[in-house]
Amino acid sequence: MIGAGPAGLSAAVEAAEAGMRVAVFDENAGPGGQLFKQIHKFFGSRDQNAMIRGFQIGRNLLARAEAAGVEVFLNAPVMGIYKNHEVLVKIEDESVHFKGDNIIIAAGAAEVMVPFCGWDLPGVMGAGAAQTLMNRHGVLPGRKVLLVGSGNVGLIVGLQLLQAGCELVAVLDAAPRVGGYGVHAAKIARTGVPFLTSTTILEAKGDGKVEKAVIRKVDSRFQVIPGTERELDVDTILMAVGLSPMTQLASCAGCDVEYSDQTGRLSCITVTDEFCETTVAGIYCCGDFRMETAEGASSAILQGQIAASHIAEQAGYITGEECGARIAKCQETLRQMSGGMFSVKNKGRVDPTETDEGYPISRSLLERGYIAEEELQNYPAASYEAEGVHPVIECVQNIPCNPCRDMCARKCILVNGDITNIPLVDQTKKCVGCGLCVANCPGQSIFLIDKTSIPDYAAVSIPYEFLPLPEEGQKGTGLDRSGAPVCDALVMSVKTSPAMDKTAVLTMKVPLKYADSVRFFKAEGGAE
Amino acid sequence: MSKIIRTAAKEPFKPEPDDDLIICRCEEVTKGEIRRAVHGGFRTTNEVKRWLRCGMGLCQGQTCQRNFQNIIAKEAGISVKDLGMISGRSPARPVMIDVFANEVIDAEKDPEGK
Repeated sequence: MIGAGPAGLSAAVEAAEAGMRVAVFDENAGPGGQLFKQIHKFFGSRDQNAMIRGFQIGRNLLARAEAAGVEVFLNAPVMGIYKNHEVLVKIEDESVHFKGDNIIIAAGAAEVMVPFCGWDLPGVMGAGAAQTLMNRHGVLPGRKVLLVGSGNVGLIVGLQLLQAGCELVAVLDAAPRVGGYGVHAAKIARTGVPFLTSTTILEAKGDGKVEKAVIRKVDSRFQVIPGTERELDVDTILMAVGLSPMTQLASCAGCDVEYSDQTGRLSCITVTDEFCETTVAGIYCCGDFRMETAEGASSAILQGQIAASHIAEQAGYITGEECGARIAKCQETLRQMSGGMFSVKNKGRVDPTETDEGYPISRSLLERGYIAEEELQNYPAASYEAEGVHPVIECVQNIPCNPCRDMCARKCILVNGDITNIPLVDQTKKCVGCGLCVANCPGQSIFLIDKTSIPDYAAVSIPYEFLPLPEEGQKGTGLDRSGAPVCDALVMSVKTSPAMDKTAVLTMKVPLKYADSVRFFKAEGGAE
Repeated sequence: MSKIIRTAAKEPFKPEPDDDLIICRCEEVTKGEIRRAVHGGFRTTNEVKRWLRCGMGLCQGQTCQRNFQNIIAKEAGISVKDLGMISGRSPARPVMIDVFANEVIDAEKDPEGK
């Protein structure tokens, strides 16, 4: 196994549990690939690690790998793959040769960089690199950050920059719409960060380091609109414009590597069949390294299981029947997860007009990163009125996620049919205001609203993941979905519990007429 | 890749204002150098790599390959798909020569090895 990330580890576990002898090589000092810097809660279904923070998924995988007797070599870069499945690994000061009956390459992907004037100045880096600095090394990548690219990687890192205390000056995207999940964008937008779509970076300026970024608008064909240049004061420019699989080892092993547009844009991929086997028999590749689906770690884990099951079956460790059943299960989950408007097949579909259910698409969410108040009426779970406390769900795109349904002991929340369907509220069931849906929604798009318990005021409960946590009785400002100040707000309670896994549920009192507007709390004194 | 398209440049080399833009950061190869290489007759990714060393540095082309391929493709008027890819070679990671030469053959498979 080359690479101890989600794909490599899950494949290792699968193979070792089937009784095979497995060695995993990874060039990094720690296992887990990119999982250990993923501090956000994952999307998906409960049996696919939904609601679990990435690093915890990594820990779980690693514990299983150790229990299954998988040998993990760290600080062990694979330098080459030769004929007859011979692998050359650097271990300390030696070049060690290993041979495996099968090899799985799960070497991951690297960040795509787009050259522009000044892109080689210190302060320009990949968003993933910034995430590594922050979450693994505890180092701030900068103070005033411009994020280029609004796919899920960019949006996730963007929120984490805010959590780490950076100022996020703006999120740019050359496309006319936000690329990633609307719920990720909304988390950032409600803190007041502007989304600038149809905008691209022209230049990084500065003396020996980034001091300014020059941006400009582009039209729908990505042609520059002259005269739209603007300068932003930033010290860091993060590029989140895509990932490109690290295909060198596959190429080295003689596997076919080609440019393909099967992912919706031209990228260099290793050719594989449905079992992740390359054109060289016995060499497999999976995860971001294979790059067929866009669901990151969750897909990687499933692909690893598919490859390992196939290998175990070929080698006689499990029966064909068992293998078929395992692979079918993984493929069904992959199919479910790759549905919806962000699926690979729908990527690049410029202008969806309605959701799978037939609701109109929120244009504001696509263009500005938050749902406009007047659009809310299009979505039943976001716009109904009820007596007492009740959940309001501002999750309006078809994304593969349903933990809200499982978290509600009262069965107030429904996600019917496909996992990509938009959640609904069963108004015949009575919400007790426990807040578990609020804290555990990976999109942080569920709020509890109570318009009837306090005369003239409403209680609005929001998910809150910033430190320091506000305290009961603290005064501050209620911000709307765009981060604009709306009214004074008073913190009524801040709930935390192990079941909420470090996402607090902050309940604030706001004037009744702002109950449908306020979605974020800013403490007095400016701390966020 | 099935074929190398080797047509002469339609127009003589014309300098562009961002010709000094660094494309390969590891080996400090500029856009202008890559454009000139295409006008000099180099067509494939590997040809340009061997001539200029772009893609031969620390990142082994992971960052710059696509970027310099785009420049070649645009300059030569052909598709990126027709340029081929940098050949993967061992060592795929930077390694000290004394470590690379210090080979250990798996003792289980080949007790007489090393």
